[in-house]
Amino acid sequence: MRLRRFRGKRPIAWLPVRTSRGRWLLVRLARAALAAWGIASLVFVVSRLLPGGPEQFALDGAGEKWGGASAGHVAQMQQAARQSFRHRLGLDEPIFYVTRSPAPAGWHWHGRHNQYHRWVVQLLHGGLGQSYRDGQPVGAALGRALAYTLPLTGSAAVLATGLALYLALYLAGAPGGRGRALVRTLLGGLQTMPLFLLALLLLLLLANPDGLNLVPAGQVPNAATSSLSQVLSYWGPRSLLPLLSLVLAVLPSLALPLAAALHHELGTDYATTARAKGLPISRILRRHALPNALIPLLTTLTELLPSLVAGTVVVEVVFALPGSGRLLAQAAATHDYPVVVAGVLLTALVRLLGLLLADVLYFTLDPRLRPLA
Amino acid sequence: MRYYWLGSLLAFLTSACSTPSAEQHQASSPVHIRWARDPETLDPQTLSNQNAVDASNLLQLALLQNDFATGGYGPALVEALPRVQLLGDSLTLLDYHLRPQAAWDSGQPVLATDVDFTLKLMQCPNLPNEGARVQFSFIRQVRLDPTDARHFTFVCRGQATEFIVSSGDYPIISEAALDPGHTLRKLSLATLQDWPATRAPAPAVAALVRRYQQADPARHPEHLPGCGPYRLAAWDTDRQLIFQRKAHWWADALPAAPAVLQARPQQLIFTILPDDATAALALRRHEVDVYPQVPARIFRQLQASPTARQAFAFYTKSSYDLVTAGFNVRQPALRHKLTRQALSRLFDPAQLMVATQLGQGSRTVGLLPPGSPFYNDSLPLPTYAPTQAAALLRQAGWRRLADGAWHHPAVAAPLALVLRYRTDELTFTAVALQFQAAAAQLGIPVQLLPTEGSLLTSCLQSGDFDVYVRLIKGSSSGYNFAPILHTDAINHGNFTGFGRPDTDRLLEHIATEGNPRRKRLLLRRFQGLLQDEMPILPLFFVPYRLAVSRQLHHVIASSLKPGYAATALSWQAADSLATRAH
Repeated sequence: MRLRRFRGKRPIAWLPVRTSRGRWLLVRLARAALAAWGIASLVFVVSRLLPGGPEQFALDGAGEKWGGASAGHVAQMQQAARQSFRHRLGLDEPIFYVTRSPAPAGWHWHGRHNQYHRWVVQLLHGGLGQSYRDGQPVGAALGRALAYTLPLTGSAAVLATGLALYLALYLAGAPGGRGRALVRTLLGGLQTMPLFLLALLLLLLLANPDGLNLVPAGQVPNAATSSLSQVLSYWGPRSLLPLLSLVLAVLPSLALPLAAALHHELGTDYATTARAKGLPISRILRRHALPNALIPLLTTLTELLPSLVAGTVVVEVVFALPGSGRLLAQAAATHDYPVVVAGVLLTALVRLLGLLLADVLYFTLDPRLRPLA
Repeated sequence: MRYYWLGSLLAFLTSACSTPSAEQHQASSPVHIRWARDPETLDPQTLSNQNAVDASNLLQLALLQNDFATGGYGPALVEALPRVQLLGDSLTLLDYHLRPQAAWDSGQPVLATDVDFTLKLMQCPNLPNEGARVQFSFIRQVRLDPTDARHFTFVCRGQATEFIVSSGDYPIISEAALDPGHTLRKLSLATLQDWPATRAPAPAVAALVRRYQQADPARHPEHLPGCGPYRLAAWDTDRQLIFQRKAHWWADALPAAPAVLQARPQQLIFTILPDDATAALALRRHEVDVYPQVPARIFRQLQASPTARQAFAFYTKSSYDLVTAGFNVRQPALRHKLTRQALSRLFDPAQLMVATQLGQGSRTVGLLPPGSPFYNDSLPLPTYAPTQAAALLRQAGWRRLADGAWHHPAVAAPLALVLRYRTDELTFTAVALQFQAAAAQLGIPVQLLPTEGSLLTSCLQSGDFDVYVRLIKGSSSGYNFAPILHTDAINHGNFTGFGRPDTDRLLEHIATEGNPRRKRLLLRRFQGLLQDEMPILPLFFVPYRLAVSRQLHHVIASSLKPGYAATALSWQAADSLATRAH
């Protein structure tokens, strides 16, 4: 077994590197998968216990158009239609392996003949089911939505992080000044502003014929017939406002704590020593304070990861982007359980992997935090 | 001078050459229409929202379709409205003739067997046709004419005037495309309707269901031949749908196409813009040309803008959708009609219409629109009258005691109400808040419970409310109120729990009466009864607001959903070119 000394100064920890770190990672991954599965299972069961199932939406219109049929006949037919709808989607089966019936009270074992078992088997075969609303595979619908969400949220996260680093270094660089005060006020103002307001303000200010009309007007290109350059030239300018909304919304929560952490680091002994040795403040900040100040930022950054796949409903609605946020919100509103459960599973998984990533980054940046063998 | 003339000549030639091409360009330009949501599915058997219905009407035709010009139904695939014959006291015969020109994309004619097949398909299990089954199961048999392949007669269970239009209001599906072997012809419509749910489907039915599922018309309507004027050119979920006009459509050959068979735009593009403010900006930026069902606030803003007024024309039409308040008559406190009458005086329909609908829409005495020939104009409109409300409460036996609350000797608890309404509708919120404030002034506490849509339906069906505010979606021909007020519909569509043997009889008579004079008398009596018993208080019919580019001609704003006729629209340039050609 190869042993390696960690580069950290104190406490000195000797670990069997490959095996224990690999095992630790495997255990954490398994735990994350188990937790995601547990969350999705809980949502699966609870969603089916909610009053008013998907048939409420699917047959709502049918109840309004009764033609000239008698009231009794319509009521009877509606009841039959609901049962038929639930049977077609398998919703008339027991929800779980065991259920408790009210009268005569008691637990009933249903064996493998239940909705949950069917879902787990399907999941193990790589299927996420079919949407109740349009009968299409959930995986394909999620994939389509993620094609819009991931580039948007991913680039917003990268941009916001870069900008936050720059602004934090700028704010921590000197104690006062009008410019810094203005930046702090703006960031504070942005932090208090709800995202829908920010997005609508940007839209009304920058894409309004009565105001600044910076985004060029044009029709949505046909995805099937348009070339890549046409699609890019359409989406390029149009992604600016949603991107700006997301960056501005997340920027204060990244920049202000980082600036505070940098400020704190500047007051520590090692920073004072560095200054006494004549190092310029910018160099102290970048070379010495930043690695230490970055650790709290990692938590905030990894918290952003779930929204990479869950999307941001507000921005997607305001800017008419068919992303995953809108997909999941619509699915939740219409009791489209397969889409909701798949969305929860994916988001939970990314969230847990995000936490794992945060831990790994912590250990990389600060060896004192590494788990002992 | 010489150069001046040369320049003028060049300018003239340039304009002479460029104008027609610009006109031609506009004439063939697509018409962009805003939709708030995706149609989700284009399966002709399960059109789950209005946009799906509108899209389906472009691809497939029904026997009868909405005629936006007249506000009623007009013959589409058939030559005329059906001939009605009553058989005994429980059956209706409806006689139809299909147009001889009506044809599928494949060139095959639309025949009576296609109609029979469509109705049978609605009864096949494991297909998303549960809603259609509820609506059209009153048609028990399709009698085909052996001497005329385009002639057929529906045998309907029951007798109702609404059968005339509802018997033809569904897209017809080609039999040849899904059942080339005619296997379904061996099974009668009644056999399929009465097939026990526990019994396995017949092999022919099971095979047909498999073929239907493989065709996947929900996502790929192009897999089935259509008989409508457009084909689906592209569908980008939650973004846009493009419909291309067919170069050769059978109705083009008609000597004088009726309004329901007009299809002018070469391309219709429906852009999905869920947010109203975004949609308004898209209109201002000319990314959409038609913005239907504009919310009151946005409509006012658009009308206030001089540039918007220059670019767009605005239309308002009262719809058949009625905002109502309902009282749960099963609750001890609301059992007495005078109590319900008193509480109805605490709603202020006139001011609510001003506050939520810019004063547009129309008030009504009953559930019928004021324009209806059956409207009872002798009755007073419901009005806000708190003093009268207090007097009516006292008349009903309520007394206001020292604690400020209203008590009744026969009711254990003081008068306090729970009002439920759908949480995502601003109009309902305004109605609920106005009622709460008016009731508070009279010393009646009202608890507001904004409730999520599906939960609200469950609560209303189980009677878990005192008062509700909701929208009743009506139609131009809907005079059958039994499903919302008959005792047989309690816990289904009759949320108020109202009903007596005499009112049930009246509702049944209204539904079946064919004679207009007698129907008028019955409906006038019904409206009077509704005001007297007050299970439901009609507040106002909401308006449909429409904003359309001024470059578009032939705009038909309508009271029928979706509030305009998309296929009637044409560009100004197209009209100019057509005039010049003539």
